[in-house]
Amino acid sequence: MSSSIIKKTSTATGFIKAIESGSKHLIMKRFTLRFPEQKLKFVGDGYQFDPKRGVGIAGSRGRHILFHEKCTGCQLCAITCEGIAEAIEMVKVNEKWKQNKKSIMPQIDYGKCVFCGLCVDACPFYALYMTDDFELSSFTKEHLIYTPAQLAVKPKYDGTVEVKIDERGASHG
Amino acid sequence: MTNEFSESLEKKLEETTKLGLEVVKEATEDRLMKLSVGPQHPGSGHFRFTIKVDGDYIVYCDPDPGYVHRGEEKMCEYRNFIQNIPHLERPVIHDSTNITYSYSLAVEELLGIEVPRRGQFIRAIASELNRQVYTLYWLAIYGIFLGHSTMFMWPAGDRELFIDLLTALTGARVTHAFNIPGGVRNDIPDGFKEKCLEYVNYFEKRLKEYENIFYNNPLFRQRTENVGILTKDDAINLGVTGSVLRASGVAYDVRKVEPYDVYNEIDFKVQYMKTCDSFARAYVPFLDMRESCHIIRQLLDKMPESGEVRMKLQSNPKGTPGESYKRVESGRGALSYYIVSDGSSRPYRVKISVGSFRNILALPHLLVGSRLGDMPCIYWALNYWPVEADR
Repeated sequence: MSSSIIKKTSTATGFIKAIESGSKHLIMKRFTLRFPEQKLKFVGDGYQFDPKRGVGIAGSRGRHILFHEKCTGCQLCAITCEGIAEAIEMVKVNEKWKQNKKSIMPQIDYGKCVFCGLCVDACPFYALYMTDDFELSSFTKEHLIYTPAQLAVKPKYDGTVEVKIDERGASHG
Repeated sequence: MTNEFSESLEKKLEETTKLGLEVVKEATEDRLMKLSVGPQHPGSGHFRFTIKVDGDYIVYCDPDPGYVHRGEEKMCEYRNFIQNIPHLERPVIHDSTNITYSYSLAVEELLGIEVPRRGQFIRAIASELNRQVYTLYWLAIYGIFLGHSTMFMWPAGDRELFIDLLTALTGARVTHAFNIPGGVRNDIPDGFKEKCLEYVNYFEKRLKEYENIFYNNPLFRQRTENVGILTKDDAINLGVTGSVLRASGVAYDVRKVEPYDVYNEIDFKVQYMKTCDSFARAYVPFLDMRESCHIIRQLLDKMPESGEVRMKLQSNPKGTPGESYKRVESGRGALSYYIVSDGSSRPYRVKISVGSFRNILALPHLLVGSRLGDMPCIYWALNYWPVEADR
């Protein structure tokens, strides 16, 4: 344990040092991500969960992707979401799958979703994952509701920029 | 100062009355001006306090928390142990790993489970990274309210480094929902260790520049030194925690006093200062950031190479009847949870005790007698986060 005492410098030295460390930034690289043109690279392919091991796989938690051939309509994702955001609703689909007798699949309202990913943890059939896509803005509230058909589409995300650190400071590529 | 002024005024009044002249006496209430600070101005956050000023001096202060109260404690009683995680981190979204840390510790005791060793290390790493994010955010706000806009830009920019790391680790920028009863949600991704070391080493170099441009800046020191003195005895009697307590000369850190998870294996110093003023309260979090860098490096070094990170739980775990109390050191001081379980899958009662709410008790004590211009530098140095205090 230690009590810290900061060295007291004279007023002139203090000002000179402050100006010096500020003016150094004139030759330093700018730490700015030019967003729509540049996009950050994420780890992995989105947050996934392995129910056998009971552990998630690291990745960005963006919008979901639903695998229709695996979904059994068990509603576990909707039950989990009930106490969290109430964003998931089970809806009828016009598809016939052997494993999905009731033909119901989750529909997600992104106006309510908090992207906690606990629905992915709840799915025991590897049917619901998350993806890198986070640009979900729309002009109406209705467009934020993603039907099972929309959720089945794999989004395109082309983030390539990574933070680089060198002697001239940190920058985005 | 106020008393001297009123005494001299009263003397003058007596003298004039003796002469037989009629004077209209100015009532004390007329001389005082009541000001309301907040709750929607960024100068106070979502928090209102009423002050009365006599000229330039503050003579009365009444903090009025509760503007963003949302009943987190009651909400806990209607959700099961896992579902509570996302809403419990809402009070402090930029310190979300620490606020769910002690909840997870308390629930683990009720469920009777133990976190795997690698999981404990990852938890501690996420918690330290999140502490950096919080402190940088606080420093940015403190800088801008003292009129130092460079100190707003730099921490806000460097905070992105740690947010980057946490995005890679947890998948979300601010609301991580990463700690869960039984461990952490996922293992660290490939290449995280090297990236983390690189960023932390770079950030340590940046801290020296912070010191030059802000903490050693004569203008900043003039504004904060010997302003808002909170003596050691007062700090203990008022019950403040965290950096405010440490700035008053008490070396108290929950990580050292009651080590949780792997903190007893980590070698670090509790940073404290004896000057008791606003400068000390602003400088101690800065020293904590430096100490956090050491802690992160040690944690990365000592972390087991492989192993489980999460205990497998049943889908709707039921707690053993009883109670548990756990606390951690958050960015604002001791943060504790008291949870009572009646044997069902939901908690019977949850009590959250946060550092912010305890630190605000020092505000009237510090503001009364100080100048109005010193208000922002006293208020923000208290490391107060209104949303967390209201819960």
